[in-house]
Amino acid sequence: MRRSMILSAVTAALMAGTSVAQAEDVILTAVPHQTTAFAEVYNPFNQTSDVRSVRDFMFEQLVVFNRIQGGKAEYRLAESFDYSEDLSSVTFKIRDGVKWSDGETLDANDVYFTFNLIKEHPALDTRALWEKIDSVELVDDQHVKVNYKEPSTGLIFDVARIHTVPEHIWADIEDPVSFTNPDPVGSGPLTEIRRFTPQEYVQCRNPYYFQAEDLDVDCMRFPQIATNDQTLTAAAKGELDWFGSFLPDIEKTYVAKDPENHKYWFPGGSLVIFNLNMNASAEGNKEAFNDVDFRRAFSMAMDRQAMVDIAGYGYPTINKYPSGLGRGYHAWNNPEADAQYGKYTEYDVEAAAALLDGAGYKDVDGDGFLDTPSGKPIQFDLIVPNGWTDWVNTVQLAVEGLNEAGINASVSTPEAAAWTQQLLDGSYQGAINALVVGVTPHMAFDTFHSSKAMTSRFSVTGYTNEELDKLLDGFFKTANADEQREIMDEIQMILSKDMPHIPVFNNPYWYQYNTARFEGFFSADNAQAVPTVHDGNPERILHLLSIKPKS
Amino acid sequence: MSFIIRRIMFYLVAFLVAATINFLLPRLMPGNPIDIMFANAGNTMPPEAKKALAETFGFVERPLIEEYFIYLKSVFSWDFGVSIKKYPLTVMDVLMQALPWTLFLAGTSVILAFCIGSLLGIYAAWKRGGGFDSIISPSALAVQSVPALVIGILTLYLFGLVLEVLPTSYAYDPSLDPGFSWAYISSVFYHSLMPIGTLAFVSIGGYLITMRNNMIGQLGEEHVVMGHAKGLTDKRVRYNYAARNALLPSMTAFALSLGSVMGGSLIIEIVFNYPGLGNILFQGIIARDYPLIQGQLIIMTLAMLTANLLIDFIYIFLDPRLRKA
Repeated sequence: MRRSMILSAVTAALMAGTSVAQAEDVILTAVPHQTTAFAEVYNPFNQTSDVRSVRDFMFEQLVVFNRIQGGKAEYRLAESFDYSEDLSSVTFKIRDGVKWSDGETLDANDVYFTFNLIKEHPALDTRALWEKIDSVELVDDQHVKVNYKEPSTGLIFDVARIHTVPEHIWADIEDPVSFTNPDPVGSGPLTEIRRFTPQEYVQCRNPYYFQAEDLDVDCMRFPQIATNDQTLTAAAKGELDWFGSFLPDIEKTYVAKDPENHKYWFPGGSLVIFNLNMNASAEGNKEAFNDVDFRRAFSMAMDRQAMVDIAGYGYPTINKYPSGLGRGYHAWNNPEADAQYGKYTEYDVEAAAALLDGAGYKDVDGDGFLDTPSGKPIQFDLIVPNGWTDWVNTVQLAVEGLNEAGINASVSTPEAAAWTQQLLDGSYQGAINALVVGVTPHMAFDTFHSSKAMTSRFSVTGYTNEELDKLLDGFFKTANADEQREIMDEIQMILSKDMPHIPVFNNPYWYQYNTARFEGFFSADNAQAVPTVHDGNPERILHLLSIKPKS
Repeated sequence: MSFIIRRIMFYLVAFLVAATINFLLPRLMPGNPIDIMFANAGNTMPPEAKKALAETFGFVERPLIEEYFIYLKSVFSWDFGVSIKKYPLTVMDVLMQALPWTLFLAGTSVILAFCIGSLLGIYAAWKRGGGFDSIISPSALAVQSVPALVIGILTLYLFGLVLEVLPTSYAYDPSLDPGFSWAYISSVFYHSLMPIGTLAFVSIGGYLITMRNNMIGQLGEEHVVMGHAKGLTDKRVRYNYAARNALLPSMTAFALSLGSVMGGSLIIEIVFNYPGLGNILFQGIIARDYPLIQGQLIIMTLAMLTANLLIDFIYIFLDPRLRKA
């Protein structure tokens, strides 16, 4: 190990022209993505690239909304934003004196240019902004106004996420979709690629960074790592500073190697649920899945604690909110929903069986399992992607509970792509699934909006409710916090009552760190923002700026 | 001559059939690349944007048969299009990055296994029933039936994690820049020890057993008895009289494994995080990267057929009876 460290130091020095200052660079090693080989693509609109340090670290957003701090606005390229009176447009004020990494000025013109760029090339509009915005106006060199199609206080979460690119470079690019951006000019903290091989690359400091005084990391080193096992091997040796991966039995395999410095924090993230297809092809299943008593009994047969402790190694956060709200949004919780419907998320197989019995479910055909009140057999697979071991074990536990309650369910483990396909085309009967959570609980709940039905993997239950639609629509039509709260209370009541999906736990945000060389990492005691280093976590820029070399 | 022409015609047809299967197979798998790419994104992409993106990848809605001919044209013009997973790199770029590593890894290990296995087999047959034979031959059978995965993981655990003498990952030290330097070349060698060793180890048994059995057959032949009778040295009889003839069936197996080298050694490459073709193919299948899968399979097919064709020619050279056929 020592030999290779000397070697790397020597190479780094040679690369940098043996300047002494460079040799003392502070280099943070991180793994934002597992891949088999890196290829140079620095296009911030590219969704497939293996280089996942382009967004946020090379190209900054306008505003980052801090999910852990209740959606607090952390201003990046924009220094403020203002809504129009009727909430149908928002004006961003771009930070004064920001420069691109080539020294040119970054102003509202670039932001305006970028909005139009993704309009002209829909393949770049990956957040589907132009579905919901009507036009963009350049007010002056410092202000850009975005006009919405409909008033909204929620659209900002997507709009402010745009990664502004320099007009003076991108205006001349013929096909920005396939552009690899070989000499990146960016706005973020780390824009200079110092070295690049398929096995490792090093991304260093932007000489003109607007927040340079808060940036204590000179370079980030990204080693190529392909699997969780390889992550564990490298992590246990102490080679990684900031990463996030599923490590089995983490206390023994990672923490115990250096209890002083090897640490992790798994705040609750995406919402893991069971989906029952209300348009299921099998008659008996369809009848059962459309019956709220069946769904409640299903929920009561779930041993959530065992799922968290046994299947999830204790990493997930249990979710007993009948609406599926999740502990991360507890500030929004409606205690009324818990009081009335909380009993349906308590593990109680006998009560589940009793509930089914009372609703008329009986074993008509004598196969040892219950049939529907109209006498049709219930028999379904719960699909789970193979290899997702924590989920497979979760489904296994679910099936045990269901069988005990008299329901004929079994586990089926198609390949991940086939699982996605069955969800999307509605051919599945039952499935385990996860919903991405947003700045507010609205994002996960909005998957039940009738306009979203069957448009993505997240909206596949076939449940719709007009009253719910209205509430979901109304939530972002107001900027008044009390009104939003009232609406969210009602949404929770409806979802708790109907239980269209069965929440079990919140997946952890995977985050591990090593304090041997650096400090200032986010942790349960220093819970400033979602701590992961993965692309898709905009808050990671805040985290990078808080990491400092150990004094 | 007509034999050669017949063989070439046969291989052309075989290639067409393989290319057709190659076209159909990925399309029979459930799932499609664009959906997979966005399946985990929290937002829903509108159909227009999805379509625009699909078109940039070369997925235009058209009848299957039309697509088939476009595909055939691309195969014969050696242009496999753009990889989806590694967009905007072309399939050729992606494959060419991995190809040298696979050639090195699998090629070296096949040659090593063939040489060592055959030599051991010759020796075991010569002294059949002796101490060496009764230990090495059953062990070869045992090793041969253990999957490469098991050996790979055991080696990784022992040498990589417990003893920490060999690197567990990469084709060379990531901090080095590729080039003709001693540090780089020695690092490549050092990093290849475990994967090549494992690959060679698991296939030595096969060659050993084949060679031993052929040899034993040869040793009863009259020309071997004749060689002894002429008073030739043991060594000369062993290698020039017996082994030379016994080598023929082993050569077939050897050429076939050289052909399959192009497929990469999927499992070993994944276990040791080696940047070869097998690893690329595996990632491509997960992402439903049709162009990449197709490109890789076509190259594998070609390599396999070429190896077969070569064997046919070598046989003409080695076996005079075929020349008259």
